[in-house]
This record gives sequence, C-alpha cells and structure tokens, in this order.
Amino acid sequence: MIRYYWISLLTLVLFIFFSSVSFAQSDYVLPYPSSMPGSIFYKLNLIKEEILKYWYFGDFGQFHFNLKQSDKYLVEAKTLFEYKQYFLGLNALNKSRVYYNKSYPFLLKARSKGKDERNNLILFESASARHIEILLKMRSEVPEEFTWEPEKSPPTKLYLHKEIENSINDRKT
Amino acid sequence: MKSILFISYFIFLCFVCFFSYLFVDKNLEFLSLLFSGFSSSNRFYTAAIYTGIVIIFFLFYLLFIRFFSNNKLYGKDIKKLIVLTCVVLFFSYPAMLSYDIFNYILTAKVAFFYHENPYIAMPNEFVNDPFLSFTRATNKVALYGPVWIILSGFPHVMGFGNFVLTLFGFKLVVLIFYLLSLLILKRISGNDMVVLLFGLNPLVILETLVSAHNDILMIFLVLFAIYLAKTKKLFYMIIFFTLSFLIKYSTIALLPIFIYIFIKTVRREQLNWSKIYLVSAALMFLVFLVSPIREEMYAWYAMWFLSFVVLQYKNKTLNYLSVSLCFGLLLRYVPFIYLGTYLQPTPAIKEILTFVPTTLFILYYAIKKKI
Repeated sequence: MIRYYWISLLTLVLFIFFSSVSFAQSDYVLPYPSSMPGSIFYKLNLIKEEILKYWYFGDFGQFHFNLKQSDKYLVEAKTLFEYKQYFLGLNALNKSRVYYNKSYPFLLKARSKGKDERNNLILFESASARHIEILLKMRSEVPEEFTWEPEKSPPTKLYLHKEIENSINDRKT
Repeated sequence: MKSILFISYFIFLCFVCFFSYLFVDKNLEFLSLLFSGFSSSNRFYTAAIYTGIVIIFFLFYLLFIRFFSNNKLYGKDIKKLIVLTCVVLFFSYPAMLSYDIFNYILTAKVAFFYHENPYIAMPNEFVNDPFLSFTRATNKVALYGPVWIILSGFPHVMGFGNFVLTLFGFKLVVLIFYLLSLLILKRISGNDMVVLLFGLNPLVILETLVSAHNDILMIFLVLFAIYLAKTKKLFYMIIFFTLSFLIKYSTIALLPIFIYIFIKTVRREQLNWSKIYLVSAALMFLVFLVSPIREEMYAWYAMWFLSFVVLQYKNKTLNYLSVSLCFGLLLRYVPFIYLGTYLQPTPAIKEILTFVPTTLFILYYAIKKKI
C-alpha cells in the first residue's frame, strides 16, 4: 500500500516538475500573414521583396531586411500548414530559414566595422526565441511526413518534422 | 546717419552671435571650452535678453524698410547689410533655438559614415556614437527628403570627421542657399525691396543663418522653379520643383500651381504672376497652419509662405501681417527658454505669444481703416 503511495507521489512530483518546464516567452512581435501563394498580390510582393533588398542597404539594413523576411515567411509557413498546404508551407519555411541564416552574418560584419551591434543582437535573440516558439507549436500540429502528389509528376515525400527541426536547430545555434 | 545705423547693426549682430554661445550644451564635448551653463542657470535673464534681441531685430528691420522706402537706403546698402549679417552670424552657435542641425549631422553620418540607409537605421542604433549625447530625437529615422540627404553629404565630407568643421560646413551650405534664394528673388521680382523683406527678416535670419534650417534649400529650389517657369523652361521647372519637395516635402502643396503654369505656358496663354505668388503664399500658409497635425507650428515653417508673400511687396498690409506673425513665432521660444520644459504651461503660453502680435496688428488695422 505504502509502495503505491510513493509511486503516486513520485509520479505527481515528476508530472509537476516536467509540466512546468516551458520555453521562455518572447515579446518579439511577428507580422500579420500577408498575401499567400496563388494570389496576384503574392507575385507583387515578390517583386517588392527584390526591390527592398536594395533599399535596405548597409549592414544593419541588411540585417533588418533578412530578419523581416524570415519573420514574414515563418508566419506564411504557419498559416499554410494550418490549411494543410504542406508543400507550399515547406517552401515558405525554407525561405524563412535561408533569410534567417543570412541575417546574423550582417551583425558580425557590422561588428568588424566597429559598429555597436548589441541592440540588434538583443533583437536577434528575441526573434530567435519567438521563432522557436512558433516552430515547436508548428511541429506539434503537422504530421511527421506527408506525401505530396502533384498532377504531372511523381509523388514526393515531405519530411515535415525533420525540416521543422532543422529550422529550430538553426535558431538555436 | 547711415553709418551709425550700420555700426549699431553690426554691434547688435555681434551681440547676437555672442549670446548664441550661452546656449552651448554641456554634453557637447567638442565645444566644452565654450560651455558656460548660463542659459540653464539664468533662465529669466536669458529669456529677457532673447526677447530684447527679437524686439531690437524687428526694430532694425522696420527701420531698414522705412529707410529704403524713403530712399535713404539703396540696393547696394541692402547688399552690404546682408553680407554683414552673413559674415557675423555664420560664426554663431546654431543650437540656440533648435537642435535640428545635430540631427542633420547625425543623419548624414548614418548615411555616409556608417553606410546605412537613414530611412531604416535610427541614429540610436549606433550605441557608442559620441554625437548621441547631445542630439535630440535620435529614435527617429530620417525625416527629410532624399535630396537633402544627398546634399548633406557635402558638409559631412568637408568636415573630414571633425565635428566643428562639419557643424560649420552645414552652416555654410545653408548660408550659400540663403544667398542664392535672395539672388533668385531679385531675378524674379527685379526689386531690392523683395530682397530686403525676405533677406533681412529677423525670423529668416535667425532660423537660417543662426539655426541653419534646411528649409531655405527647399525654398531656393521652388523659387528657382518659378524663375524657370517665368523664362518658359518647363522641363527644368519640373526638375527643380521635384528637387524642392524632395528636400522637405511641403512644397508638394504647390503642385496645382505648377500644373497650372505648365498648361498655360503650353497653350501660350498669359499668366498673372501676381496672382500665382498670392495663391502660392496662401497654399504654403495652409501647409504651415496644418503643420501642428504632424508635430507643432515651428517658427521656421513661416519661411515657406514668407518667400511668396514678399513677392507681393506692394501689398503692405499682407507684408506687415506676416511680419507680426513672424514676431509672434520668434516669441514662441521664450516660454521654453524661461521654464526649461516642453510640458504645460509652455505649450499654452507659446500659442498665446504666437497669435497676440498678429491679433493686435489686425485690431490696429481695423481701427485705422475704421472697419
């Protein structure tokens, strides 16, 4: 009887301990979802993105540009996954990852030129934490794998969890 | 008599120049030798002296107008007075009434030293920059147009990284455009009175030659566009008008005027320039009146309509009305100098001081004309 009592107590303690473990909440605000693939505005946004790349010149400018694009595509991926558009969502997730990986080197570049990058580094860390929160939620809501069957080409297997985990790992490093 | 007037004006200008240095910021380490702390520790006396300066400035101005009207001063005398004003006040401390020049310098530094887009990167992102300690509103991206940003590259480069050289480089650019504006006003009107009314107006002098506001660049470019319109060079007119609103955007209000000029010129129809100046002055006055929507009615914004009002130099009532408004606008600085705060009652007193001289003038005019 006592044994059962201790097992129950231990289970309760472990449950309380582990259930209280959570990732730090970030105050970083992500943008609203913008136009989605298939819309004419989406194509216009792609042109705008190309132009903005030159408008955001400078190390801090490029850092902000890449981080903003990374945010935008992360939100796009989340929205597309919610609508079970896994192929398009994965594309958006990969774009977000590429932009994310491009942003930090600009802070290093700024530092090497003697610019104080501390404030932007805080912003970057905060953005990374928020991205991880979103990605973890995303992983819990999508299937591990998905077979995408396009009309005119052979089916492709999409490893959703693996891709999301790769994105999380990028944010953690 | 004339030489007494000139000498007393010169002494007065020297005093204004000296007085401006009483406002040197204690955080401005580049001019720490000149820091006295007088303006912050003797607020009452500073406000009183400033008020005295404004009154004397306007007395000189009215005297010049009177002497010129009575043929006691001529065009060459006006030139001498302008050169004298430029030479003395070029050396004045520019952050006496406004700190905008520091923003110009820092914005130019963001663009040309840090090589960042000033419309994206805020000055306060450059945490260790020594200019941040004395520059206000560093949490804002560039407010001015791209033409100004490009032009600000010249004094930035000419400063060779030296703050004082850069500071006076900016003052020099503004001074050059002030002189160019006067030259173009003379070309447009063919009258020295116009040059006197604009060039020796205390508000124009203090806001341009002391505070070095970039509005004068916008004004020169729009006046030059008018001059090109008068000489029927429409293509260049469009270019210079565009350059003008790409300095500070407010001259965009004159777009209907330029479209009207364009159509009339293409149709080879006669233009009533007097009416064009009047409507331009009215439009720019409208922009001036709505400026508090964005921030507040800054004194130097008066130059926007003043540059067109003076072209109506025969309309004495309109000119004296704008002079009274200029007087009120310069008094707007008194509450802050005295109280040292932007909080109440400073804004309320500012509004009262701005409109009291104009109201008094309107009352005087109404009584005189028995309206």
